[in-house]
Amino acid sequence: MDKRFEEVEHTADIAIRVWGRDLAELFANAAYGMACQLADVATVERTVEHEIQLEDWDAETLLVSWLDEFLYANERDGLVFTDFDVLEVSPTRLRAVVRGGPAPVRWHSIKAVTFNDLRIVRTAEGYETTIVFDV
Amino acid sequence: MVQKSDFKRVDEYIWELPKETRDDMRVPARLFGDAELFEAAFRDRTVEQLMNTATLPGIVKHALAMPDFHQGYGLPIGGVVATRADTGVISPGGVGYDINCGVRLLGTHLERGAVAPYVRDLTAALYRECPSGVGGNGRVRASERELDELVVQGARWALKRGLARQEDLAHTEEQGLLPGADPSHVSARAKDRGRPQVGSLGAGNHFLEIDVVEEIYDAQVAQVFGLWEEQVVVQIHCGSRAYGHQVCDDYVRDLQSAVLKYNLSLPDRELVCAPVDSPEGRAYYSAMACAVNYAFVNRQVLAMGVREAFEQVLAGKVKNFDLFQVYDVAHNIAKFEQHEVDGRKTRLCVHRKGATRSAGPGYEGLPADYRDVGQPVLVPGSMGTASYVLVGTQAAMALSFGSACHGAGRVMSRHQALKQVQGSELRQELEQQGIVVRAGSNKGLAEEAPIAYKDVSRVVEVVHGAGLARKVARLRPLAVIKG
Repeated sequence: MDKRFEEVEHTADIAIRVWGRDLAELFANAAYGMACQLADVATVERTVEHEIQLEDWDAETLLVSWLDEFLYANERDGLVFTDFDVLEVSPTRLRAVVRGGPAPVRWHSIKAVTFNDLRIVRTAEGYETTIVFDV
Repeated sequence: MVQKSDFKRVDEYIWELPKETRDDMRVPARLFGDAELFEAAFRDRTVEQLMNTATLPGIVKHALAMPDFHQGYGLPIGGVVATRADTGVISPGGVGYDINCGVRLLGTHLERGAVAPYVRDLTAALYRECPSGVGGNGRVRASERELDELVVQGARWALKRGLARQEDLAHTEEQGLLPGADPSHVSARAKDRGRPQVGSLGAGNHFLEIDVVEEIYDAQVAQVFGLWEEQVVVQIHCGSRAYGHQVCDDYVRDLQSAVLKYNLSLPDRELVCAPVDSPEGRAYYSAMACAVNYAFVNRQVLAMGVREAFEQVLAGKVKNFDLFQVYDVAHNIAKFEQHEVDGRKTRLCVHRKGATRSAGPGYEGLPADYRDVGQPVLVPGSMGTASYVLVGTQAAMALSFGSACHGAGRVMSRHQALKQVQGSELRQELEQQGIVVRAGSNKGLAEEAPIAYKDVSRVVEVVHGAGLARKVARLRPLAVIKG
């Protein structure tokens, strides 16, 4: 799969469409797509490593919780994560090791990851979803 | 797909979509706009989102979109939805992430000529005294305990700390305190994120502006509000910062399971809700009220920053540099209000998402000096264009649960704006118009370019013409500060 994500037009906010051959890749690409909205990812040096473990009651909620982890780290410590090893993922559980660092060039402040029409869809190639961020 | 022809024009400025349009709609949907604004609703997903909104259990009369409507998430922006407090639902998505985002207007005793030589210095001082930008710490650093007190006491907390004047509170919606706040329903993460940010502007569309009153439409009401032609005034536009974002985020996620528990069927997961009268609904309300109060304090602390900046620059140079508060309005909020439904006064949960309360003459809860004329409705325009001060009407009670628009409303995505506008050129253009600009980034500036917004004057004409509020004064910016 060549394309990890693309930006989708939204009148007021930011939306991205994301693809992945499996759920692990979809989650990794979604996090990368969001990182690209937060900052110039090329300028981020990977100096920090975090392990993330999450449980939620369905895949969409898990996706929102996963992305929220990065918004929190971004706001609290100015970190942007750009490398994602999703070690284990089911629709209700996730374990991953992520790497990133401080972002010298920051683009947007994302207020939140929304559930707006959020659906993880199975396609012939794997999975696809569209995520709307409130900015 | 719904077409323009599915709408019925019930009044010059009201377009109605019957509830029969879609099986799950419980009430008709109404858009406010002239012919051109109505057309704009079909260029994004406003109509679909408004129809989705009309499915909320317990919704009464109509799902409404004010004329500054545009696509949002869950509800469209500009959305007004009232549900029955006894049998209806409350929806965090119906308030939005920036809980109690709102506008505060401060008036000076100075006319443009007296301030003109100092606008650049004032802008620099405001930029210093009112922290802005992505992330960004505020003027006040509250301890955990202080933060809990702050969100329960609202503007009174600021008053006790010498960060407010009694008359500021009187001229704030709800006197700066929405009752029912309970921080035990707010997550540790929300508190952690919100604690360093009290008294900060944030980024995005939030701003601080020095304006001049360019035209008065209603001299009598303007006088009551303390406004006069050529007067210099200051607008503060911001909300509850990360505290509110996290409260909304937590409840949109947590209530996903309540939807199953209460057997609610929703067309969009962002519309997630719970019965007003349920443990989940009550928990959200009390957490939201905390965020509402946080935002009142935030704008209050910033107002004191504005006063300090004016003093630093103008003391010894002009006679009276003090600022008084005209009013402070919320435009993302859910509140319990009494409105007439089927001829009976009914307690409703009114959700305003990008809409301002527009209480008319005699409305209970207005300060004594405004009670005879109605409340100021503050409508900031896009950057570099006009802003308006309107006054609430009694007609709005019947038309819109006492609501009016909250701004110009976007028509163009940030992405599109970036393609069409260079931040540095825009800065130059604004400077050429005599507007001093301080912005965190050129990119942020370009995204908020005036061409990305509807014409605020057109929106205000609709509000005025439809009777949602009446025009009192128009403001023009002298200086803009953006995060």
